[in-house]
Amino acid sequence: MNSINNNSLLASSDNFPLIQSHAASDTIAWHNGVAISRQAFLKDVYIAASRLPEGQYAINLCEDRYWFLVGFSALLVRKQTNLLPPNRAVHVIEEIAHEYSGAYCLCDTNEPDLDIPVHKININRPGDTEETYPVPLIPGRHLAAIAFTSGSTGKARPHQKFWKDLILGARMKQKRFGFGKKSGIQTIFVTVPPQHMYGLETSILNPLINGVSVYTNKIFFPADINCALRNVPEPRVLITTPIHMKSCVETGLEWPRIDLVISATAPLDKSLAIQAEELFNCPIMEIYGCTEANSMASRRTVTDKHWLLYDDISLKQKADNCFVSGPNLPEDIPLQDVIEVINDREFILHGRNADMIIIGGKRASLEDLNCRLRSIDGILDAAFIIPDSDDNKHTKLAALVVSPALDAVEIRNKLALKIDAVFLPRPLYIVDKLPRSETGKLARSALLELLDKMRNTD
Amino acid sequence: MNGSDIAAQTPFEQEVAQLIVTSLNLEEIEPANIDPESPLFKDGLGLDSIDALELSLVISKNYGFQLKSDDSNNVKIFSNLRSLCQHIESKRKK
Repeated sequence: MNSINNNSLLASSDNFPLIQSHAASDTIAWHNGVAISRQAFLKDVYIAASRLPEGQYAINLCEDRYWFLVGFSALLVRKQTNLLPPNRAVHVIEEIAHEYSGAYCLCDTNEPDLDIPVHKININRPGDTEETYPVPLIPGRHLAAIAFTSGSTGKARPHQKFWKDLILGARMKQKRFGFGKKSGIQTIFVTVPPQHMYGLETSILNPLINGVSVYTNKIFFPADINCALRNVPEPRVLITTPIHMKSCVETGLEWPRIDLVISATAPLDKSLAIQAEELFNCPIMEIYGCTEANSMASRRTVTDKHWLLYDDISLKQKADNCFVSGPNLPEDIPLQDVIEVINDREFILHGRNADMIIIGGKRASLEDLNCRLRSIDGILDAAFIIPDSDDNKHTKLAALVVSPALDAVEIRNKLALKIDAVFLPRPLYIVDKLPRSETGKLARSALLELLDKMRNTD
Repeated sequence: MNGSDIAAQTPFEQEVAQLIVTSLNLEEIEPANIDPESPLFKDGLGLDSIDALELSLVISKNYGFQLKSDDSNNVKIFSNLRSLCQHIESKRKK
């Protein structure tokens, strides 16, 4: 099946193929060094789909990207919905399962120790197949996935992703970055988990819709990325984050040819972008987006100050908020960042709202983290503190806690069940009381002062 | 954290513990107080995946080899200071 010509088909039918740009024998994924054709992949999808339990929702926790892709697709075939938790903290997963009645966990190798039903994808890959499998049709209105962000109330906030909207979004990226149009099938290498919206768009929807293949073994350390690139023929695209790029720059390995590097999840420092362009000898493009509204704009960091919106996406300034709208979004969505609209197509990003924290591509609200910390039995009062940031260092939050009953290690252990590890506070000090004002407010300056005092008496 | 009931560190574990504390800015932790047998990540020392990247850089600079994810023993290697040190000893090129 060849690539469908944009909106004409979307308008003429309510169903859209699961895979839209691969011929039967084209490679859609690389797994354990083996190229997997569309046919072999579909065989796995049909087997997995036939074994899924009845239900409406599954929390897709598969760690291996290939089995995530199979699981994601099998759920669509069975008209079920992928729930994508913001992290793997046990309480967060159980909380989401509790909100969606009958939800079960879909996993691959490691069965998580959870208080909800778990279904394991248990397929021995038999290798390629000569058989032809029909490409499944999925209703455009099907709720393919729900992604979650941390709200400000101690509860994850859901964002619905319909199949048709995901297709339209993937095609915008194809247009912007030329995915699938090069000679030979492009392979993309991704260092972000598929449960993250950036990882889902680039490494799951991109192969399904845009005809690229995805390298599915875990790549995390610079040596993994380097070795993976060498094992797969060109053309190659690396999809990563500023943190990974920084460690690649500092590691000093020799890099094979790469056609394009894309970065997202955190602002890319211009000087790092310059070093990375030299190292990889290709353009480094930055994507701007968020879980609520998916990716929406890009720029080449080395040369562009302004961000260029994808075609068909527009921004509107209403009162104090900037809203994004597009054919792939069910409604106008307010952005959490401070944005200056330059013209119809371009904007400047000025930073985030004060309550928002992004560490290692994970986003959290400070209020949400405070709620979760204060909900631990034995804690009387507590506050996270965002230190003054130094872009070149790994930012860690600090915390001050009033807790006569628990020590720092006990608190950290309990907190690890409730929040992502990147937000675990370091340092965490036990104090007699927090410097609250008469109205109960906590000033950042007062917290920083107490934090400093604790550091010096440590 | 108090250091009374933890297993003793070998000299090499002391060296790596010092390296972890310095490179990751673990300001409130005394290297000698890291229990070589208690977890480094999440609920132990509270390290996260970004720390693992930093650690891989420091290890490549100091011991001349690269950490990789496809090592099926990774969970074990990173489980605590002792197993990390054993891994470094077996792979180090300097």
